[in-house]
Amino acid sequence: MEKDCIQSRGFQNIEKDGEIVGFQFKIRSLYYRGVWLSQLRPATVWVNGEEFGPDKITWTIRGETYTHEEMAQLGDVHWGLLDLATINVEKPGGLEPGVYEIKLTYTWSASYLPPRIDTVFGSRPHVKKLVMV
Amino acid sequence: MRMERKGVKRGVSVYSYAGEYGVTMTLEDIFADIHSMGARGLEILGNSHIPDYPNPSEAWIERWFELMEKYDLVPVEYGHWVDSRLYQGRELSTEESLEMLIRDFKIANRLGFPILRTKLGVIDETLTPVKNWKEFITAALPYAEKYNVVMCPEIHEPTTLDSAMVQEYCEFIDKTGTKHFGLNIDFGIFREKELPKDQMDPGRPPMEHSKPEELGPYLPYVYCCHAKFIEMSDDLEEIYIPYDRIIAVLQENNWDGYVLSEYEGFHRGQPGVASDQVRRQHAMLKRLIGE
Repeated sequence: MEKDCIQSRGFQNIEKDGEIVGFQFKIRSLYYRGVWLSQLRPATVWVNGEEFGPDKITWTIRGETYTHEEMAQLGDVHWGLLDLATINVEKPGGLEPGVYEIKLTYTWSASYLPPRIDTVFGSRPHVKKLVMV
Repeated sequence: MRMERKGVKRGVSVYSYAGEYGVTMTLEDIFADIHSMGARGLEILGNSHIPDYPNPSEAWIERWFELMEKYDLVPVEYGHWVDSRLYQGRELSTEESLEMLIRDFKIANRLGFPILRTKLGVIDETLTPVKNWKEFITAALPYAEKYNVVMCPEIHEPTTLDSAMVQEYCEFIDKTGTKHFGLNIDFGIFREKELPKDQMDPGRPPMEHSKPEELGPYLPYVYCCHAKFIEMSDDLEEIYIPYDRIIAVLQENNWDGYVLSEYEGFHRGQPGVASDQVRRQHAMLKRLIGE
């Protein structure tokens, strides 16, 4: 895996029934432990500054695709450190070939920290330039 | 397998390599590193270092024991969590917490780990555990016996040895007489030197620390220690934590167990730094232990 959260490989448009419905990219967890899906807090993505909120985003983890609402209930499905997750973003028509600045925010809960800093670990945004081929 | 001698023994937590794992090093690379510094004790974190956790494959488990043999490693401590805030907006029930514990007891037992670093959810700045901890730990004791594991909360800064929490843990052990609940002492509680300003959480109140010389009376409760360290100098001294005095106290009290390196320095994101720093720490520990 690449060291950064956002990986170069895997950035592509999503095709469904012959139509481009969005785009996706892969991420790895930078936390030192895997997390249960219900520990995750919603993701937001920016593409060259254009914002895509949590309702436009699903996650694919170990072959299964989830909405944020579904993940919030899944305390027994695990995202391991060696599993790349795919972030799927809804955008009819997808993205043209080119270089894009991708920004991603999401965080997670850590119960062994004081509640004041429950989600502090994931508070830093991830930014990377990705190439759409 | 070689016999384990009595006394203070050296080991490493794979946590030390958090910046390398899956990027520059595989689990086997990390085992090779640990072996090459003459350490034998091993700590892994279940959620972090077992692919397919919580359902490792039979093939992976078989390979696990091959690697223990190949690198002459001893499974010592298995890190796991009771994620009290697993679901947003509520705390786990006693029953749910118990289920989480048992799931990890089984995996730890399968991989040969006798000690667990049991991380509980906390409710305040001084890391006071959740209110129902005694209920689910008590309920878990028969299972811990069945799976032959000792649950050990980690006593970690800013907690001090004389805190109400540590007293409560010790009273619980005395009262129940259990051999399946104890303590893991993280040497960060003995830190003497302030961290650089830019490394501190600005919202955190100032932290108190214990002295190594206070540790003696607690050692009968201690099954394992985290040899937390921040930075090893070129002359092989830890800059922030008084290791000479800590190891001396362990030896004066004839403590028998593993001290497991936990590297938590400032440059751990840089490739190669963890290997270098843990290696330096083991050169120091070897000298202090008198191996």
